[in-house]
Amino acid sequence: MHEPNPHNSRQSQFPDLDRRSFLKTGLGGALFLGTVSVTAGLSGCATRPAGRLSAVGTRMDASYQFRFLNRDDITLFEALLPAMIGPGLPEQPQARNIAIAGTIERIDAGILNFGPANQKELRRLFDLLNFGLTRVTIARVWSNWPNVTTTEADAFLERWRTSSIGLFNNGYIALTKVSNVAFYGHRDFWHLSGYPGPPKQAVDALPQFNNA
Amino acid sequence: MSLTDRIAQGLESGWKVTDGASLTGNLTTEADVVVVGTGAGGGTTAEILARNGLSVILVEEGRLYYQKDFKMDELTSYANLYQEGMSRVTRDGAIAILQGRCVGGSTTVNWTSSFRTPEATLNYWADQFGLDDLRPAAMAPWFNGREERHNVALWQVDPNVNNDILRQGCEKLGYSWKIIPRNVKGCWNLGYCGVGCPTNAKQGALMTTIPGALDNNARLFHSLRADKLVMNQDRIDHLQATAFASDGITPTGVTVTLKARHFVVAASAIGSPGLLLRSDIPDPHQRIGKRSFIHPVNASVAQMPQRVDPFYGAPQSIYSDEFNFRNGVDGPVGYKLEVPPLHPGMSSGVIPGHGETQINNMTGLPHMQSVIALLRDGFHPESPGGTVSLRDDGSPVLDYPVTDYLWTGLREAFHTMVEIQFAAGAEKVRLMHLDSNWYHTLADAKAAINRLPMEPHRVRLFTAHQMGGCGMGINPENSVVNSFGEHHHVSNLSVHDASVFPTSIGANPQLSVYALSARNSSRLANKLVN
Ligand SMILES: Cc1cc2nc3c(=O)[nH]c(=O)nc-3n(C[C@H](O)[C@H](O)[C@H](O)COP(=O)(O)OP(=O)(O)OC[C@H]3O[C@@H](n4cnc5c(N)ncnc54)[C@H](O)[C@@H]3O)c2cc1C
Ligand code: SF4
Repeated sequence: MHEPNPHNSRQSQFPDLDRRSFLKTGLGGALFLGTVSVTAGLSGCATRPAGRLSAVGTRMDASYQFRFLNRDDITLFEALLPAMIGPGLPEQPQARNIAIAGTIERIDAGILNFGPANQKELRRLFDLLNFGLTRVTIARVWSNWPNVTTTEADAFLERWRTSSIGLFNNGYIALTKVSNVAFYGHRDFWHLSGYPGPPKQAVDALPQFNNA
Repeated sequence: MSLTDRIAQGLESGWKVTDGASLTGNLTTEADVVVVGTGAGGGTTAEILARNGLSVILVEEGRLYYQKDFKMDELTSYANLYQEGMSRVTRDGAIAILQGRCVGGSTTVNWTSSFRTPEATLNYWADQFGLDDLRPAAMAPWFNGREERHNVALWQVDPNVNNDILRQGCEKLGYSWKIIPRNVKGCWNLGYCGVGCPTNAKQGALMTTIPGALDNNARLFHSLRADKLVMNQDRIDHLQATAFASDGITPTGVTVTLKARHFVVAASAIGSPGLLLRSDIPDPHQRIGKRSFIHPVNASVAQMPQRVDPFYGAPQSIYSDEFNFRNGVDGPVGYKLEVPPLHPGMSSGVIPGHGETQINNMTGLPHMQSVIALLRDGFHPESPGGTVSLRDDGSPVLDYPVTDYLWTGLREAFHTMVEIQFAAGAEKVRLMHLDSNWYHTLADAKAAINRLPMEPHRVRLFTAHQMGGCGMGINPENSVVNSFGEHHHVSNLSVHDASVFPTSIGANPQLSVYALSARNSSRLANKLVN
């Protein structure tokens, strides 16, 4: 709040140091998200999605600029959302891509307001899921996210939901919460929960909706 | 358009309101009193001091949002009006913390339930913490006064179905239930209190005490965070604050220095102890941040045969205190039963699940009913509360260990909630628990409740009522302030918000905050004027 966090600056200055301690924890199986922090550059295996066309990459309207999620995070959510939302996503490929891309944009926008502390926690979580070694050892997801099938993504979410390790439950809640709220909370998908939206008489009568 | 917005009018008429984002250079200014926080406590304090002719500066870290911004939209409201964009949690992530961050504080997003502090709570404080001057008879005039100021009255309209199911269930089982008093004026019964009242009906700080203070020449800085109270010998000399850009989160680097004769901290539980800790306020017995309480909440949802439309209608109108004080004030933990509003974003974030299961949960929303139990924490040795401390970056964080005493209460509350829902005709119920299925019979639900692990993360826990951390008491060894909110060690520092409660309240806290702040501000005004 007052000064740059000493840990942060050290991490960005000496990524190798972090890498070493990170590898140790990863291999040793000590699963503390708190000790794992990989800089975006380290995890940068951002190969173009092979298995799946990037919904975000093929957006018709790319006016939204991502400010928190990096390319790897976007790929992660492109792989997770089909399992996360499941049959809630439209089947028609273009509509589906638009729904996925829009949801990822809203996830990004939502996280911006989370503030530095929770952003740091999410950065750790996403880096851990994106970095190949921890993806395999901790999330037990064998393929790169672009090649992960919906069934595999669902199995991963189920593992973290049912795990007896609180940290994984916490990760599950973090991932589902940001995704569910960004999806079901958006007007385009209100119909899925039978929510008609704000009462029409009120909208018609209230000055703040009167755009004239 | 017959509607007139109090805030728009006031700004037009020349209220002294400064958006921190608009400051281009550092600034130093001065008043009789600086009040940190503009919620239930801060608003009350500012209005009373300003009406007594004192010059007042209000400092609010959130931004000024009002009618023009309240469009009944969850996503924008959660992002802008809540602490940490609605992502605030306890340090281990196990408890979601709902708390306001905007002008008006949590009262801008609260659900308008207005209860007096239960008599048993006030008497417990007198007996345990020496707060004899806060006994029910002494507090009664302050409650009366605040009920008038905030237009508190029993809700006259029929409860929505969501609330009525709580009533019906209690009725069938012979449990007591009552109608909730609400602080509203001309309420449209819409159900959007949690995202900023779009009609200005809610009589929270934003529509009452904040305009009252500004009409009386108070000055408001919003988008400005109080960072540090700076002492000069045994008194606070000034407050250091930093401005945020118009996104409400990016510091602009502009610093504001505020000097005053007296400082009132009303940044609420978590916020106030955080500020005191950052400021290294004398704390010989290390009490700051200790005994932080939250009314831990667990929840159950039911699928009803009839339409519930839990997103419409006054969010809370019925409650049951059947189990709140049943075991005495300090026995096994008691809980108050209420109902939460369910909008799609909130519901999808609160009901844990993904994929097909989740879409099935969500499809049922129009028929969904929910009951919540609010546990009365802090009245038993095995409920010592949590601790607020500072992260590396200086921001406050709450550790709240859930003790076995509380787990027992949570399990019991699950039983009660599903009993009520089935008694009211539920087709099936689901606990807010990672391992819960939908249960079609009471027997199945109860068997599951007995079997399911009561563990952090697995049981979904929430709090919308943060209390304590700067507790009141006569003994400086176990408290931070006295019954007037005056700091034990620093003579020009007071705390006027929910953080002074030495236990939880045992009822939704806003009226307790309003009343105690009114009492303590009147005393402070007297002292400063003379
Ligand atoms: C969703 C929700 C529903 C609720 N429903 C009810 C209800 O129906 N009935 C009821 O009685 N209670 C309800 N509550 C709780 C009630 O609103 C609070 O208990 C009450 O507002 C607390 O008053 P306070 O003055 O302590 O804090 P608040 O009203 O929260 O005000 C504190 C203010 O301080 C600001 N602040 C914090 N730190 C700083 C800083 N460093 N610098 C500057 N400003 C700072 C915050 O942004 C905030 O605006 C609800 C709360 C929530 C979140
Ligand atoms: S129910 Fe609607 S109109 Fe009434 S106070 Fe709440 S948001 Fe305002």
